[in-house]
Formats: sequence, C-alpha cells, structure tokens
Amino acid sequence: MSGEHTSAPVAARVRRLEERLIEAGVVGEEQLDAALAAMLKGASPVNGARIVARAWVDEGFRARLLDDANAALPEVGLSMAGGIQEQRLKVVENTETAHHVIVCTLCSCYPIGLLGPSPSWYKSEAYRSRVVREPRAVLAEFGLELPADTAVTVWDSSAESRYLVLPRRPDGTAGMSEPELAALVTREGLIGTAAV
Amino acid sequence: MGELRAGERVRVRAGDPAGHTRVPRYVRGQIGRIVESQGSWALADEVAAGVAEPRVEPVYTVAFAAADLWGEGDHEVTVDLWESYIEPVRKDET
Amino acid sequence: MSRVNDVGGQTGFGALEIEADEPPFHADWEARVFALNSVLVRNGVYRLDEFRDAVERMDPQEYLATSYYERWLKAIETLLAERKVLADG
Repeated sequence: MSGEHTSAPVAARVRRLEERLIEAGVVGEEQLDAALAAMLKGASPVNGARIVARAWVDEGFRARLLDDANAALPEVGLSMAGGIQEQRLKVVENTETAHHVIVCTLCSCYPIGLLGPSPSWYKSEAYRSRVVREPRAVLAEFGLELPADTAVTVWDSSAESRYLVLPRRPDGTAGMSEPELAALVTREGLIGTAAV
Repeated sequence: MGELRAGERVRVRAGDPAGHTRVPRYVRGQIGRIVESQGSWALADEVAAGVAEPRVEPVYTVAFAAADLWGEGDHEVTVDLWESYIEPVRKDET
Repeated sequence: MSRVNDVGGQTGFGALEIEADEPPFHADWEARVFALNSVLVRNGVYRLDEFRDAVERMDPQEYLATSYYERWLKAIETLLAERKVLADG
C-alpha cells in the first residue's frame, strides 16, 4: 500500500539522498553505480535453475550440494559471496514423500545475492503470516495441491542461513539436456510454492 | 551449554526482549527438536544494539510440530535459533 | 516487546497477491535504494542487523501503510540521522 506517495517524489527523495551522501564522501558515485549494475547483472533465478539442473543430471553434485551448498556452488561458477555478506546456503530436497517451502516471517531473508530480489508476495505480510500456519492452503493458492501423505516442512529463515528448494525432476524429461532442464525451473519452484 | 546434537529437544526461552531479536513470537516457550548446527554466528540482538564485539554463538535449526504451535496442522516448521534463545529439555519433561 | 514485523502465524492479512512475471523492481528508485543500502553496509556506516532494527522501529501504523522499499528508505534515513552522517538540511 503505497497510495500516499506517488513514485516521483520518492524517486526525487532517493536521488537527493544519494547526492548528499556522495557530496559528504560517505559513498562514491561509481561505487553506487557498480553495486547497482552488479546486482542487476549477477543475481537472478537463472542461477538457481542452473544449480537445480546440475543436481538433476549429476548425482555426485546433488550429494555435495545437499551436504554443503557453499562448497558445491563453485562447481557451477556461483557463490554465496555476491550479497552484502557471505551467508550459509542450505538446499532442501523435495522427494516423492516430502515437500519444502521457504519463508522469512521476521523480515524477508532470501538468497538475494544468488537469485536477485524476491517477489513481492514473498515479502508480504499475508505470505509470511500464513505459510507457517497453513502451508497447504497457501500452496493451493499457487495452484500446488499436495497429496495428504506428503510431509510438509516450512523453513523460517530467522538467522544467517538462506534456503533454496531442490524441486523434483519432472517425469518425461529423461532425454533433456542440462540447459533444457534449467529452463523448466521457476523462481516459485526454488522457493517451494511451485512443483518445479 | 555443550554442542547440541540432532534429535535433542530444546525449549525456546519465553522472554520478550525490548530490542531487535530473531526469535519469532510463535515459537516462544515451545519445545522443538534440533535438526542441525549451522556453525557460529554473531548474535543479531547484540549486533543490532551496536555492541562492538557481539557474542558469537552456535546457531541451530530447530523443528517444531505444527500441532504444538497452532493446535492443528500436520506439517513441521523449522526456525534458526542462536544458542542464547534456547535451553535443553530434560528427558522426562513434556 | 514484539514488533510489528513479527507476523508469523498471525491472522487477518488476507489472501496472497501474486503478480505474474513480476520484474525484480517496479521502479528505478527501488533498485537504487537496494544498492544504496548494500553500499552503506559495505562502507561500515551501519550493520545489517542495525538496518533491520531500524525497519522494525518504524511506527506500526506507518510500517503497515508503507511499501517495502519505502520502509528501506525510511530506515536508511533514520540511521543516517541518528549517526549524524549528514549535516542537517
């Protein structure tokens, strides 16, 4: 709800603040531009999709990823050092009998340095308040109906770990290449609000 | 408190600190099960309070049964908790 | 005391609003606030938990009536003012 402000005055407020901070030598203009460019270029759900596709085709990588994701990421040219500070990444694997979904009830913790900014619904009070209490109902709103005997775990990112869901590889994908598999993976799949 | 192992039961301290903390209120006073240790990290409460050298403590992933938290539901919720936030539960305690 | 941000398990926030094909940011200024915050933390002006604290200290009515990145902007302004990083004005 940002109805009290139109975008333009906020944009001017941000620009003025940047100018004053640059003038005072607190931040550098190039530093700001570089941070912005690096974030827009480097962090994207595509990174998560690549991790998932590799885990689907390479059993050894899958095992290393689940055991210690930070140590496994360099194998696909990624790391958790892209954000403000290096964080622990924990990958949780969906199976035939277990489904995982990620939230941050206290704020909006998310592997931003890897995946880019989270979607607005992930940051919303509605999602944060409800998914810990009624995950099946929330997932149903995303169109994901889980069998009654699937064990559901909701991971509340309340400290220094960030979470990523490893979805199940869809049926009928045996002949697909790694890039083709990566193209199947959505941001919602990486959060656990979609099957893939 | 020594290193806690997977499967051990812990209770979340029920305090309601005045400042920033990373204990969601829905687990305060609740009993959960240690899933794993995440290594040691600076205690967020002290970092936020501006303490120059904040305590560095083990952080644990702790799983709670939805039925315990909400009185209904068949799922589990895990919360990541600094050692200061939790205390061991005696085996005979429920 | 529990703060306005601590919403896990609360009721009354309604249904989810899911935007199809949502872009990373909805306006250029949102991306600029995001980048500014990361640079201020990197430069040691404040720490990430101090930033979270500043978001949580917002007036609850204002918090709930303010968009996500405007909360960030407000928290940055609060921290800069408290630390007297900028001269008045």
